Order: sequence, then structure tokens, then C-alpha cells
Amino acid sequence: MRLLMFLIAFVIVAPLLATHDPMSTDTDSQRLPPHAAHILGTDALGRDVWSRVTTGGWRTFGVAALATVIALLPGIIGGLALSAAPRLVEQLADSSINAVLAFPSVVIALIVLTLLGQGVMPLAFAVGIAQIVPTVRVVRGAALAIRGAGYLESARSLGATPTRIVLLHVLPNIAPTLLAYAGVVFSYSLLNSAALSFLGLGGEPGVPDWGVMLAEGRQAFRSAPWIAFAPGVAITLSVMIVNRAADQLGRSPRR
Amino acid sequence: MLLKVLRVIILLALMLNACTTTSEAQSRHRIIYGLTLQPSGFDPHIHASSELGIPLRSVYDTLVYRDPTTGDFVAGLASSWTVSPDGLNYTFILKQGVTFHDGTTFNAQAVAANLDRITNPDTASQKAIFMLGSYTSYEIVDDSTIRLILSEPYSPLLDSLSQVYLGMASPAALSAFSNERYQFNQVGTGPFQFVEYVPQDRLVIRRNLNYSWGPAFYNAPTSDSVDEIEFRFYTDPATRAIALEGGDVQVMGELLPVDARALAVNQEIILNPVNVPGQPLQFLMNTEQFPTDNLVVRRALITATNREAMIDAVFQRFSPIAWSPIAASTRFYSSAVAGAYDYDPGQARALLESAGYTDSDNNGYLDFGGSELILNVIVPPWGLIPDVAQLLQDQWREVGLRVVLETVPTRNALVERVNQGGYNLVAFYEFGSDPSFLNRYFTTDGVNNWTNFIDADLDRVLRDAVVQSDAAARGSLYAEAQRIIMDRALILPIRDYVNLNGVQSTIQNLTYDAYGWFPILNNVTVSGG
Amino acid sequence: MILRVIGVLWLAATLAFFALRLLPGDAITAQLVDSGASAAQIESRRAALGLDAPLFTQYTDWLVGVVSGDLGVSMLDGQPVNEIVARQVVPTVSLALAALLVAIIAGLILGSAAGLGSSSARFALNIALSAPIYWTGTLAIWVFALLLDWLPSSGDSGLTGLILPSAVLGFHTAGAIGRVIAAGVAETVNADFVFTARSKGLPEGLIVWRHILRASLLPAVSVIALQAGFLLGGVVITETLFNRPGIGRVLLDAVMRQDYPVVQGIVVWTAAVYIIVNAAADVITRQLDPRVAA
Repeated sequence: MRLLMFLIAFVIVAPLLATHDPMSTDTDSQRLPPHAAHILGTDALGRDVWSRVTTGGWRTFGVAALATVIALLPGIIGGLALSAAPRLVEQLADSSINAVLAFPSVVIALIVLTLLGQGVMPLAFAVGIAQIVPTVRVVRGAALAIRGAGYLESARSLGATPTRIVLLHVLPNIAPTLLAYAGVVFSYSLLNSAALSFLGLGGEPGVPDWGVMLAEGRQAFRSAPWIAFAPGVAITLSVMIVNRAADQLGRSPRR
Repeated sequence: MLLKVLRVIILLALMLNACTTTSEAQSRHRIIYGLTLQPSGFDPHIHASSELGIPLRSVYDTLVYRDPTTGDFVAGLASSWTVSPDGLNYTFILKQGVTFHDGTTFNAQAVAANLDRITNPDTASQKAIFMLGSYTSYEIVDDSTIRLILSEPYSPLLDSLSQVYLGMASPAALSAFSNERYQFNQVGTGPFQFVEYVPQDRLVIRRNLNYSWGPAFYNAPTSDSVDEIEFRFYTDPATRAIALEGGDVQVMGELLPVDARALAVNQEIILNPVNVPGQPLQFLMNTEQFPTDNLVVRRALITATNREAMIDAVFQRFSPIAWSPIAASTRFYSSAVAGAYDYDPGQARALLESAGYTDSDNNGYLDFGGSELILNVIVPPWGLIPDVAQLLQDQWREVGLRVVLETVPTRNALVERVNQGGYNLVAFYEFGSDPSFLNRYFTTDGVNNWTNFIDADLDRVLRDAVVQSDAAARGSLYAEAQRIIMDRALILPIRDYVNLNGVQSTIQNLTYDAYGWFPILNNVTVSGG
Repeated sequence: MILRVIGVLWLAATLAFFALRLLPGDAITAQLVDSGASAAQIESRRAALGLDAPLFTQYTDWLVGVVSGDLGVSMLDGQPVNEIVARQVVPTVSLALAALLVAIIAGLILGSAAGLGSSSARFALNIALSAPIYWTGTLAIWVFALLLDWLPSSGDSGLTGLILPSAVLGFHTAGAIGRVIAAGVAETVNADFVFTARSKGLPEGLIVWRHILRASLLPAVSVIALQAGFLLGGVVITETLFNRPGIGRVLLDAVMRQDYPVVQGIVVWTAAVYIIVNAAADVITRQLDPRVAA
């Protein structure tokens, strides 16, 4: 958890650590290996990799965070509603969920990106929308797991409305699970938005973003592996830290 | 239980894998050739990609060929031909004794069957039919003479007939297989015969031992000649050089310039860069959209572009600077346009100022009447265009211009985006040896008139150049067309396209034909097999 | 049950059909852009493919075909979709199975080691879950195909061509499996029956294999089934990276070129496989744990 705080703080202040303009190209210093002036080397167009990695966190995390919101909001509402829904609705919903889960997410991403264009929001939607249905499934599962709990019974016997029960009793009790799951969605979004760049759907060439940088760095991998190395490590470490925090969150209430 | 599951998985995996492994009769001179993308189809009469021609150019013969060194038309399946003075009749005398790979005889009826297939609407030809221009019908004079009849003169016809898309296929095979099936069962007369095509995986061709009717520049095979070639698809550019170095393939096309530069020091790899005729990497400028509606702005944009730096940085100096709407290796290229609008940021700034653009709010960007100059550029993902566009963005910022790059993920998306309008520049180009493709881009009613330029002179010059049969006259018409296009600054040409082929040093005599894309596989030899 | 399966398939098919048609343009747009075809010629090509018919008619026509087992033909080269899938399914399934095998073995070993307290095994599992697959894949190509020159970097040439891609894909799939096993092992290590086994003097290896692992397998099976979905996503990237033929690449190509029938067909087939794998996971869970059967 502390690591996560540190990571977020780092991403926020990191642009201050940039030593060069992350966007401006310099055709006289292309693909320089790491050295004093460019501690992580330069990329294919002569831009400083360190400055790009430090400024890139904002966009990368921004897309992943937005995507998480896009997945969670409708997902939580849908999941809670379903947990209280009659059996027939539940079964119908279950089939729809399975149908969507079987749908290749690259198809969804291409459609969203073609319709919405490029930029942070379209990318967040392309990644987030595919995660809505899995969220519904998880939230419903969590809500059903506490269905028989004593505090719900007593609330019901006191005549609380279903909406009130869900909002005041179910939601707080599954909150730790949800938070942990939000972490999972976040790391998924981080990895998936990077994967879209690999498949050529990331858009916006040159923008400092770890996914875009990794995809661009891969093109020069044979002769300049350091270009892909820094954003690769950044993505891996971030996902690792977020996963760990999610793990701890998911485990803590049981103790 | 677990062990059982594992055992089943292993067995299944092994079995499936066994099915996919082909029994490769190990012939001594078998090579593997890396193609860049999986074409959407492999039938030369139907499909349009350049990749399909790389293997199939050697499976089919054409009525005529272009000599790769002189560019002149030479005898192919036709030993000679005559064009009527009005340019409406082309009469071909066919070689005798030519047989298809299936043993059937090549004759005038076979040519007719091919033309029938290509022009049949059910074939839905994507390229070949359009290459025939004003062709309307044929007349079989005798078994070895056929006459093509045109509704109006169309001088690119011979160029079309020399391309693999109009290659001669066996009528027996064409009638035995449906249009969908034929691509898996192709039969031509060429120096190699088609063995198999497995989509997404490979296409294999094997030497035709009966071949003796090739054009003059096809050498007679020797004991070192290659006798079987497998083509594979390498969609991801970053993996191409590694596959070549690792020995997965002996020839690889379209290496990334960086990788090609790095391979230059490798003794075992020989670089074989080929200039491809056609359009250069270019940005078409929309003459209807502010601010590129202003000729001075368009001229300033070209002058503000440091193409040499781009070619150094992105293409590793492997490409010549482009000055014209056609690459220097294209027929009728005019060197008169070379050198115009050479890089001069000072002059670009002066030009923009003369047109009334100044930085009145001192924010580093020019404005005009209170609104800032913003250039909207449509950037497709292929051909390193994103890298070029980013350098363009930086270079134009130097003269006070703001550039917005708009990436489009696919060709479809690009076309749709262009149709919406509202862009200033769009990167697009196509290939071809005869510059008749210019009509599509620069005539008023051209399908791809994305510059929205309307000019009666240019229309007339380009139309005359297609009808005119005299080569010298065509040359001066195309010189005039290039002059007008560059004088009006309709395009920003960047670099002539160069296909960076890498070849292992055991492969010799690999040369490319007049179209740049297509290797003359007949002449390839393998040493030290 | 059957009705629900059909329902899921129908829904997936319908979603695919209409979602694709949200895209501007169609398969013909890009195909003829530099051909010189006139607008009228382009329109007649559209008509020939039925793209000019009202959307709902196209939909019902297609659905009728699907019900009779005909998924239509590719708009680009006329190949029947069923044949395309049949041809590509072999390399994809052999890659997926090989990767699954790697994933299960690596997941078991790393998972139990991590559960028993090995921090390096835990780290390896974390990497598997956190690193982008195309980055580790590129690294693997670089090391094993280029620097060491042990394995081919590309192609579908027999067993050697399968090793690198299945190892990379399998390693990442092992992450989720290993974590569940690790959690299970960590919980059972101190269970009564393990204590009993230990007091009987059984060798430690046998205890881990027979008692601890078995108890931890149950939750792993459903995770493995879930990974089938991950595998398909991973297959798209792995096949591109290693230049292997297969469903993933065909799907990507077809999406990019707006070859509707091919995308739709692959979605229907994927949905079917997804349902079967999940049903199979249910059966295996029941086999392993008699309590669930009740």
C-alpha cells in the first residue's frame, strides 16, 4: 500500500524531474545509448528517454484511471442491480455476460477508436468498455456472497427499501473487494492500452506515454534496446505495485 | 487426474503440431523469402497488392516485358506486336511452343480466355480490369495472333500488359476452378510453377524445368540456380531483420532503415535497396482548406521542410529526396523540377509574412486576422509516416506554424477521414512505372483529387499524356504536368520510395524488374548450398 | 442448458454484426481507393456483396446462414469463413495447448514454491502478471533467436517453432494460475491432514505433491478456464510477434480490413469455444471436488 502511494506520488511529481523537452526532436542525437547527458539514452527521433518516461506517467496513468472509472461505474451499478433482480432477469443477464465475455476485445477497441478518434478519452473508452461486463459479474458475485448475512436480515426486518439496503449495507460491506478489483482493472487497463499501441491502434505519434513509447521503442529494438527498456520497466513495476496493493486490500477484511 | 490431463494436452499438442509440419522434400537450392504482409488475396487478375506479385511474377509470363535496365518493352509471350496509327488496335504475334504448367498449349484462345475472365464483372477484379483502360474487345486473327481493340487511344496499355496482374493463366485451370479457388491452384507459363498457398503461412513455387520462352533478360538456369522458394509473411517490421540474421529467411523485403543500417556491417548480409517507381512519400495539400488554400502558404510549407534531415533521421540516408509528384525512377520523370523549394526557413518565414501572417500575440505561432494558423495533417501508420510527421511538426514550429497530427489506423479510416474534408495535408502514395496514375490525383474529376485542385491546363496535359502514343511527346507533356503540380505546390514530396531488401551472402544475382517490387527470381543462384 | 448456449451464441453474433457496422466505410472502401475505379463501379461492387441492402435484411440473411451452419464468405477473397477458421484453428490450438501446458507446469512449480515461501518464485509470478507480453516476447526473440541463435524467431516449422511462442504465452498465463496455487498451498501447509502426513514420516516432496497441491488445485481449475479468454487475446499478439499463422492474425487482419463475415464468424466460433471450455471446467471441478456435485 505504501509502495502504491509512493508510485502515485512519483508519477505526479516526475515531470519536474525531466531534464529535456520530452516532445522536441533532435535529429543530431538519435538512438544514443545511456550516457551523462541522457541518462536513459535517446529515442529514434533523438528525444530524451528519461524525460519522456518521467512525463509519460501522467498520460499512461490518466488513461488507465479513466478506463477504470469507465469500467467500474456502470459495472457496479449493473452488478448491484442484478444481485437484487428476479431470477429470470438474472439468467438473461448471465447469458448476455457470457456473450460479451466471448467477444474479442481488440474488435471493441478498434471500433471505439475509429468512432471517437484519438486521444486520452477515446483510448480510455476503448480499454474501459471491454471491462464493464467482467465488473458486473464480479460485483454481483460479491453482493450475492453476503446476501444471507445477519445485518441484511435485520435491515430487511426493519422495513428498509431494497435501494437503501444496497446503498447503506451491501455497498460498504463489499467495498474492500471492489477496491481490490479496481486495482485489477487498473493494471489490466495499463497493459491493454499499451497492447493497443503495439497493434498500431494507440494513435498520437510521439506523445509521451509508456505504451506508445514501448511500441515505438520496439521498432528500434534490434539496434537500440534501451528505448523500449525504460517504459517496459515502468509499466511492469507499476502493474506489479498496483496488483500488490489490490492483493492486500482484498485480503485485509478477512483478518 | 492432473497427470492425465497434462498427458492429454501434450498428446493433442504434438498431434496438432505434426499436422502442420510439412514434409519438405529437401532440394538443394531451396530458399525462404520474407514478404511483408499477408495480401488479402493472391489471384493476380483479382487482387491488387504488390506483395502478390513478388512470388507470382515468376509464375506467369506476360505478353510483353519491360527491360529492367533500359525500361523499353521487349518480347514476352508475344514475339512482336504492332499498334495501328490511330492507336486503337494492338496486334500481338504470339510465340509458339509455349505450354502452361499443366501441359496445355498457350495460344490466342488462351489470351482471349484471360481477357474474358478479367473483364467479367463477376470476377470483381480490383486492379487488372482498370489497367486495361479503354480496351473494349479482342479479335482472334489466327491461333497465334490476337488483336486488342480500344475505344480510344490508351498509351499505358503496353505497360499494363507487361505486369503480373495481366499475366497469362491456363484457361483449363481457370475453368476448372472457381474465382475463389483459383488462387490455390494457379497455373501459368512462367519459370516457376505454383506449388501451394496456405493463407497466413506460406506460398511455395518450384522451378519449371520445361521453361525456354523467357524474355531476353532471363538467364538459362545453371546447376546453381534456385529451384524452390517458400514465401512467408512478416507483418511486424521489428521482427524482419532478426529473422534474416537468424537464418529463418534468406531474403527479406522492406527492412526497417535502422535495422538495414545496422546490418550493413554484417558480412553475411548484403543490402539490396531498390528504388520503386511511382509516387514518392508525399503529403497532398488541400487547396480548399484554410490556410493551404493560399499558394504562398503551400510554397512556404515546402520551403520550411528539411527533407534531407528527415531522410537522414528516419530513412538512414537510404532514400533520395523527392522533388516531383513522381519518383526519379518513374518513366517521364522530369529533372527540371529538382531543387525547387530547397530548405530555407528564412525564406519560408518571409513568404508567410508577405502573405500577411504575423505573430501578433507573440506566442511563437503565426496568426492571421486574429486566428492562429493551424495545419491539420492526416497521418496513416505505414511507411514510417508517423516519424516523418513528427519531424514535420517540429520543423514547421520553427517557422511559427502549429501542426495537429491526426492518426488514422487503417486505409479505410484514411479514406473515410479524407471524405469528411477539413484537412490541410494527407499522406498517401501509390506505385507504378507509367505515370498515368497522376490523372487520378490531379485532374478535376480524378477519383483521388484530394488536393481539390481545379485547373483546365493540368487536366488537358494529363489527359493528352494518356492518349498520346509518341513517347517523346508524352515525355514533354509529363514534364509540363510535373512543372504545374510543383509550381502550384499541390504536394509536399518527401522521399522516393526505396525497398530495403536484405539478402544472405549465399544468394547471388538477385535483381529486381522495372517496377521495383518484383524480383527476377529466374536468375537467382545459390552458392555453397 | 442448450437454450442458454444458443442464446449466448446468438447474442455474441448479433453484437458482432451490429458493432462492426458502426464503423464508417466497408471492405470495398480501401480496396479500390487506388484502382482508378469510378464511383459508379464502386457502388456496383458494394451491391454485388449485398452491402447496399437494408441493414436488417443483411442481418437476417446472415443469421439464416449461421443457423444452417454457413457463416458466409470473406468479402476480400471469397473464401468460406468456415474453411478459413478450420484452416487456422490448428496452429492456434496447438499454440494455445502448448502454452497452457507450459502455464500449468510453470504455475504448479512456481505457485507451490511461492506458497512454501520462495520469494524468487513469487517475484517470477509477479513479473508474469505485470510485464506486457509483447515486451517479454521481443526480449525472448532477441536473446534466444538472435544472441544465442538457439531457436527460430518465426514461422510454423514444427516443434522448434512452437517453443518460443508457447513459452512466452505460457509464462504470462502461468501468473494467474500460480497465484491461486500459491494462495492455496500457503493455506494448506498448516492444515491438520498435512500435519498428520508429516507425523507419519512421509517425505516432504510427497507431502507437497500428494496432499498440499491436490487441495490447492480446485480453485486453480476455474482460473485455468478463465485463462482461455486471456489466451485468445494473447494469441493475437503472440501470433503477430512470432509470425505464426492462426486465428488471432486472421481476426486482426479482418478487423482492420472490415471483412465483416470473417470477424463475425470468428466471434461465433470463439463464443462456442468459450462456452465449451467453461463447461469443461465445471465438469473437472466436480470430478476433483465431490462437494460441488451436490
